[in-house]
Amino acid sequence: MTAAPPAPSRATSSTSGSSAAAEPATQSRHVLSALVIDRPGTLNRIAGLFRARSFNIESLTVATTLEPGRSRMTIVVRGDEGHLRQVLAQLERLIEVLEVGDLTHAPHLELELALVELDVPRDEAARRAIDEAVARAGGHVADRSDDAWRLSFTGRPDDVESALEQIRAHGIRAIVRAGSVAMPLHIPS
Amino acid sequence: MTAAPRLRPASDPVEGESELRTVATGPRIVAAPRIGARALLEGLVAQGVTTIFGYPGGATLPIYDVLREFPIHHVLTRHEQGAAHAADGWSRATGGVGVAMATSGPGAINLVTGLATAMMDSVPMVAITGNVARPFLGRDAFQETDIVGIAMPITKYAAIVMDPDEVPLAIAEAFAIATTGRPGPVLLDFPKDVLQAETSAPLPRPSDLRLPGLLRPVRGDVPEADELVELIASSERPLILAGHGVQIAGASDLLRAVAERAGIPVAHTLLGIGTLDETHPNSVGYAGMHGWMHANKALQHCDLLIGIGGRFDDRITGKTSTFAPHARIVHVDVDRSEIGKNVRTDLGIVADAGDLLTALLRRIPADDPPPARAAWWAQIAEWRQVSEARPWHGSGAWRDGRLSADFVVEQIGEATGHVATLVSDVGQNQMWAARYYGFRRPYAHLSSGGLGTMGYAVPAAMGAALAVPDRETWAITGDGGFQMTMQELGTIVQEQIPVRIAVLNNHKLGMIRQWQEIIYDENYHSSELFGPDLVRLGEAYGLAAFRATKPEEVAPAIAAARAQPGPALIDFHLDEAQNVYPMMLPGKGLSDMVEQARDEDVS
Repeated sequence: MTAAPPAPSRATSSTSGSSAAAEPATQSRHVLSALVIDRPGTLNRIAGLFRARSFNIESLTVATTLEPGRSRMTIVVRGDEGHLRQVLAQLERLIEVLEVGDLTHAPHLELELALVELDVPRDEAARRAIDEAVARAGGHVADRSDDAWRLSFTGRPDDVESALEQIRAHGIRAIVRAGSVAMPLHIPS
Repeated sequence: MTAAPRLRPASDPVEGESELRTVATGPRIVAAPRIGARALLEGLVAQGVTTIFGYPGGATLPIYDVLREFPIHHVLTRHEQGAAHAADGWSRATGGVGVAMATSGPGAINLVTGLATAMMDSVPMVAITGNVARPFLGRDAFQETDIVGIAMPITKYAAIVMDPDEVPLAIAEAFAIATTGRPGPVLLDFPKDVLQAETSAPLPRPSDLRLPGLLRPVRGDVPEADELVELIASSERPLILAGHGVQIAGASDLLRAVAERAGIPVAHTLLGIGTLDETHPNSVGYAGMHGWMHANKALQHCDLLIGIGGRFDDRITGKTSTFAPHARIVHVDVDRSEIGKNVRTDLGIVADAGDLLTALLRRIPADDPPPARAAWWAQIAEWRQVSEARPWHGSGAWRDGRLSADFVVEQIGEATGHVATLVSDVGQNQMWAARYYGFRRPYAHLSSGGLGTMGYAVPAAMGAALAVPDRETWAITGDGGFQMTMQELGTIVQEQIPVRIAVLNNHKLGMIRQWQEIIYDENYHSSELFGPDLVRLGEAYGLAAFRATKPEEVAPAIAAARAQPGPALIDFHLDEAQNVYPMMLPGKGLSDMVEQARDEDVS
C-alpha cells in the first residue's frame, strides 16, 4: 500500500449556505483531528460512520493524550467537501467524540513516520551512498543488523514520499508507514 | 448561512455535572450489596420505568429471577421485534422512554429492526440485552452474538457493561443519552455473570454521569430568530413545514401560536401530522410523495420555507434540485448534522423547536394583526378546492358499493372523534391513514416514517395502548404488515390490551402492486398475498373479530369493535384495485405528480 501524494492545499473560503445535493463532487484530501473517549468501541463507531458514507480512510492514527481516558485521532480521508462536512457533524454527535475538526484549511503541522527495511549494503560504497541519502532526507539508520538495515524517516508526508523515492534504488524490502499525525498551529491573535 | 453551532463544546461541562465520579463532593454512599440484576432493575425503577416489553432467555434469567421484587410489569411478547416496537410505541405515545429486553444471540438480534425504526424516527428507548458470561465472550459460546457491534449504526449509543459496579451508572447514562438533545435508542448489553455478581455501587446522582461527549442543545433564547423574523416579514408566500421534532419538543401549541400570529400556513411531514389540528385554518395538511396536492403545491410555490424539526427526507422532497424552487429555505433542527444534509439551506438554525418558536413569539408583536398575504391564502384555498374535488380525494368507490380504504379510515376517524391514537403500518395503509383520519392532536399519529418498517403497527399500538390506557388506540395495517407480526395477538389477548386492529385487507402487498402497476408496466410479481381467515384467526386467539366487505358494514363493525372492553380486530375486505393517489414517482419532483389512475376519467 502506498499513500497517494498530498493534494495541493486548496484555498476554499467557507461559503455562505450549505448546498447539499447541488454541490459538485470535489475529491480533496482532508486531515481531521478528533479528541475521543478512550474505550472499546470508539474506533469502531468512528470508522463505521466513514464506511456508511463510503469514505475510504487513507490513514488513521490514535494514541493517548495528556488527559487520562482521552485519545487523539488523526484521520486522513479523501472525499467530497460537502459530504465530509456532514460526516464531521455526525462524528460530533457521537457520544464517544468530544471534539472533531478539519485541519485542512487552517495552518497545521502534519508529520508522518516511515520505517524502511533494506538489503544490507554489499560494499563500503553502497553503505556510504545510503548514509548520504538518509542524511539528505533527514532520516536515520535505526538498525544495522546482519540480515537487513532498517531506516526511519519522519517528516511531512510529501517529504517522506521523496525520501522513500531517493532510497528506492538501494534494495527496499519493505515499508511500514504510520500515517499522519497533525496538530493545528495556533496563531496568536 | 449556516449558523454557528449552538451546541455546548465539550470543554464546557454542564453545571452540576462533573465528568469524573471521583470529584463528586460529599461522602460516597455505598449501597447494600446486591446482584447486578437487582442493581439493573433498581436503576430502571429509579428512571420511572413501570413496564418492560421482553422475552426471557438463558442470559437474562438472572433478571427474571428477581423481577417480581420490583414494581415493574413485564409484558411477555411473542417475538423480540414485537417488544422493540412496543417500547417504541410506548415512547411515542407518552414522550417517555419505553424499555425492551431480550436475551443474548437471536433474542438480541430480533430487536434490531425495532432499534433501527426508533433510530430513524428519533424515538428514545432503552434496550436491555443479556450476553454470555464474560469468560465466554468472543469464544462463539452458545447464543453469543456481538450485539453491540451489530447495534452501533442503528442506535444513538450501544455498549456492553463489563463491570457489575458500573451497572447503576450505565442505566442512568443510557436514559440521559436516549432523551437528551435529539432522542434515540440506546442498547446496553449485560454479560450474564455481571448480572449475577454482587455490587455495592449506589444509584448514581446526576453529577455522577460521565457524558462529556453528549451534545446538549443550548437552551434559552435563539438569537438567529432575529433574522428569521426579518425573512418572514419580507415574505409574500411563507410556509412552515412542521416535522416530528416539533412534537418531540412538545412545541405544537407554540407552533400554532407562531403560525397564527405571523399568518403562516403550515404543511406537515408524515411524522409531523397532528402538530396542527387539521381543521385549523392555517393547516394545509400532509405533504410529500402521497401528500395533499395543495400542500405540495404550497411547497413548490412558497418564497420562504421554514422547516422545523424535520429531515427533508426524500419522501417529502422528491428530486431535491426541483424542490421548493422559489423559496429561501430555513432549516431549524436540534441536530446540526441534519442542516444542509439533503436540501440547500439559506438559514440553518441549530435549536430545539420549542426554543426557536418561543424566540419567534417573543419577537412578533402579539397585538398587530397578522400580515394579510391575501393572494397567497386565496391561492392555497383554490388549490385545496381543486385538490379535494379530485377523484383521488377519497376514491368515491364506496358510492358504487365497493369498499375503499379511504372510506374505512374516514369512518374510523368519525367514530373516534379524530382523537384516537392511530398507529399505522407501512405501505398503502400508512398513506390512507395519514390522509383520511383527520388528525386533531399531536402524539396521535404513530408510524414508522423513516425506516418504513412493515409489521410495526400491531406491536407499537400495543405499547401505545398500555402506555396511555384511557386513550382509544387503533392499529391500521395492511394484510401484509399484519402477517409479519400477528403473533402479538397472543400478547394482546393475554394482557387484554385494548387495541383495535383494523386490517385493510386487499389480499395484496398493495404498495408493491401499485409500483408494479405504475412504474413496472403492470409486471406483477410476488405482490399477491394469501392470508388466513382473519376472523377465525382472531377467534382462535380468543379475540373479538369482525368483518366488513361492503360500505354499509363499516360503521357497524367499527361500533362493535369499540364496544369491546378489550381488544378487537376488524378484517376490512377492500376492493382490490384501489391505489393511493396522488403519487410522486421515484426520481421525480413534487411538481410532477401522478394524480390518478390511467384508466380513470380525467376531468
